[in-house]
Amino acid sequence: FLIDFSEQKNKDYENAIKYYSEALELNPSNAIYYSNRSLAYLRTECYGYALADATKALEIDKNYIKGYYRRATSNMALGKFKAALKDYETVVRVRPNDKDAKMKYQECNKIVKQKAFERAIASDEIKKSVVDSLDIENMTIEDDYVGPKLEDGNVTVKFMEEMMEWFKDQKKLHRKCAYQILVQVKDLLAKLPSLVEITLKETEKITICGDTHGQFYDLLNIFKLNGLPSESNPYLFNGDFVDRGSFSVEVILTLFGFKLLYPNDFHLLRGNHETDNMNQMYGFEGEVKAKYTAQMFQLFSEVFQWLPLAQCINNKVLIMHGGLFSEDGITLDDLRKIERNRQPPDSGPMCDLLWSDPQPQSGRSISKRGVSCQFGPDVTERFLEQNKLDYIVRSHEVKAEGYEVTHSGKCVTVFSAPNYCDQMGNKGAYIHLRGADLKPEFHQFTAVPHPNVKPMAYANTLMQLGMM
Amino acid sequence: VSNPHARAAFTDSDTADEAVRATCDDATTCKRFATSKGYWKDPYMQYFARSVGERKAPEINRGYYARVQGMNHLLDAFIRKTECDCQVINLGAGLDTTFWRLKEENLLPRKFFEIDFPTVVARKIHNIKKKPPLSKPIIETHSTDSLLLDAHSLDSDRYCIIGADLRDISTLDQKLKKFQLNQELPTMLLSECVLVYMTPSHSSNIIHWAAESFHTAMFINYEQVNMSDRFGQVMIENLQRRQCNLAGVEACQSLESQKERFLKSGWEHADALDMMTVYSMLPQEDVARIERLEFLDEKELLHQLLQHYSICWATKDKLNLGISYITLFLLIVFASPPFTNKL
Repeated sequence: FLIDFSEQKNKDYENAIKYYSEALELNPSNAIYYSNRSLAYLRTECYGYALADATKALEIDKNYIKGYYRRATSNMALGKFKAALKDYETVVRVRPNDKDAKMKYQECNKIVKQKAFERAIASDEIKKSVVDSLDIENMTIEDDYVGPKLEDGNVTVKFMEEMMEWFKDQKKLHRKCAYQILVQVKDLLAKLPSLVEITLKETEKITICGDTHGQFYDLLNIFKLNGLPSESNPYLFNGDFVDRGSFSVEVILTLFGFKLLYPNDFHLLRGNHETDNMNQMYGFEGEVKAKYTAQMFQLFSEVFQWLPLAQCINNKVLIMHGGLFSEDGITLDDLRKIERNRQPPDSGPMCDLLWSDPQPQSGRSISKRGVSCQFGPDVTERFLEQNKLDYIVRSHEVKAEGYEVTHSGKCVTVFSAPNYCDQMGNKGAYIHLRGADLKPEFHQFTAVPHPNVKPMAYANTLMQLGMM
Repeated sequence: VSNPHARAAFTDSDTADEAVRATCDDATTCKRFATSKGYWKDPYMQYFARSVGERKAPEINRGYYARVQGMNHLLDAFIRKTECDCQVINLGAGLDTTFWRLKEENLLPRKFFEIDFPTVVARKIHNIKKKPPLSKPIIETHSTDSLLLDAHSLDSDRYCIIGADLRDISTLDQKLKKFQLNQELPTMLLSECVLVYMTPSHSSNIIHWAAESFHTAMFINYEQVNMSDRFGQVMIENLQRRQCNLAGVEACQSLESQKERFLKSGWEHADALDMMTVYSMLPQEDVARIERLEFLDEKELLHQLLQHYSICWATKDKLNLGISYITLFLLIVFASPPFTNKL
């Protein structure tokens, strides 16, 4: 019997399936019935059944061309383009004048080629770690290098003091030492959770610094004013260590060195500038390539991906570079679970942690930055309440006084790059937090002079002094 | 003012002048980079700065975009209102490409004059001679086969460039008249980051001279403003470290002070806007386009920059052409119908 498939509605296809099934019970070796039922299954989107029937039809009659057609269509629908291509090839060979077959073959061929191309690109981009291709052990340090070296492969107090002095004199750390630091700090950071939780005892205090942006001489000044990091003088640097300033390499190697020296008392959180996009545009990538190599920049990029995203002190104070979230209901547990070893996505909690800003008005708004959001005091209030926290500390925005307290004290901004970009004339600030009361105590400081860096690919570009 | 060319020794003021001349390179490289990124079109920049050079920060590119759009808007409006029956004098023009843009857009005034230090002018003339895309438009618009050309000046029917010291206004006046400056024509005077490098007394002379020389004219001045705050102070210090003195910064205290220097020197009307306001008044679709060209990480940097530069435009209108209606208050203009047909 014949059924006109050209005008079937779904119900009719279902009927067709029913009738062909009955027919096949009576006559199980009929290729045409299988083929037609296959078409009915295609029309009702039962692609698995359609494929099974088409295959069966061809088992019965390998010369049944329609069967190859049906099988190809089924495979296309199932995304098995290579298999489909084989069958289309068969049809085209047997029916060289069939325009429809030829067209379907060409279309399928295009898709197969496209997918092969995509696979090839994807496998190029799967990054093996730079670490695998490094042989740090066998890197030699030339005899004429008189700069700081790790002691038995370890960062020591003496090494840190020498390195900071070396950097102050605008000298370069030997690449072997830089690689040693990077490889070790990568391993260290990778073991940390995305939300770091620490306890500050009553007698203990911690210093929280905001953005430093490659302003090495101002970083040295912070250590001069507030003391070098140690077990009894813990620090937290809240992201944006690099870019914009001309001494990003010196800043980051110093911070990483201290992280290795005092892993439990020196904390680093990721900022939005610890990402590839920002580094490419705002100087860090150029600086690393100029002072070292592209490969070293690759390693920096990998290390940045392992930086934790937030830190909680005594279950009361939460610190992150950007701010709170584009939606309500995010818990500390959500933060713990973030898989951070990546470039931040365009949206979501990981993006918000690095990018959002507080706003004075209630609710949320689209961010002026074009990424993430702005959040109001009510958002902060709800988040703190839900997570039983007292307040948040964040950075990310330059402030004339180096810090700002908003949202009735529940949202604190701290920024530690004074006279940002050599232009803004702002103060820098850092926060003292004592375990006894957990109330933020603000300390301000002004910019110190720094050497005029010789025009280099990375440096002078961002030193344009306005319009001329 | 004694002839600066007669000095033998290299004095402090020579150093200052040299630093001012160097700002020509800043403007050129910034514009070269910004145009290469697509902020606006300028196919002539490449003939003055061959390579694109190092990248500039996004806030700088946006700042130059606003400057160029603002200046061009006023200039083009003036030329249209006078139906090209006018002349333009670009003071401290540097390696500016406006003449070639106007030629291409069929907006050439009767004559376009450019003034700058002799060494800058010599450089520009050298480039013009070497590059056909620069020389052709000049030759095409000249009636005879030969142009008047020496080391520090080039004169043709429609384009004239003169090496001179703007602080020596009487010599400048002489030279302009020698090259057929027409005091009866409505005249547009432009200065972009020029007056701020000379003392208020020198810039006042220029402004006064312009008011005396032309009965129907507009003077557009782009430079710093709001300089008494922290950002302004830091800028002054930074530039001083580069031996660049903002000798005229006194007039850059506020929009009021920028307007006042014109109103007290014979100009009838004066208006001024800071570049933050100008930026918000530019066609927002194009602004959105340029903002997509490069991501800006810290908007505050752009805001501070824009708030510390202004465009001031002053007019006098004996011929009653309606010159004082030319304005950058673009949104307001479109909102008030009586003005629209005057533009």
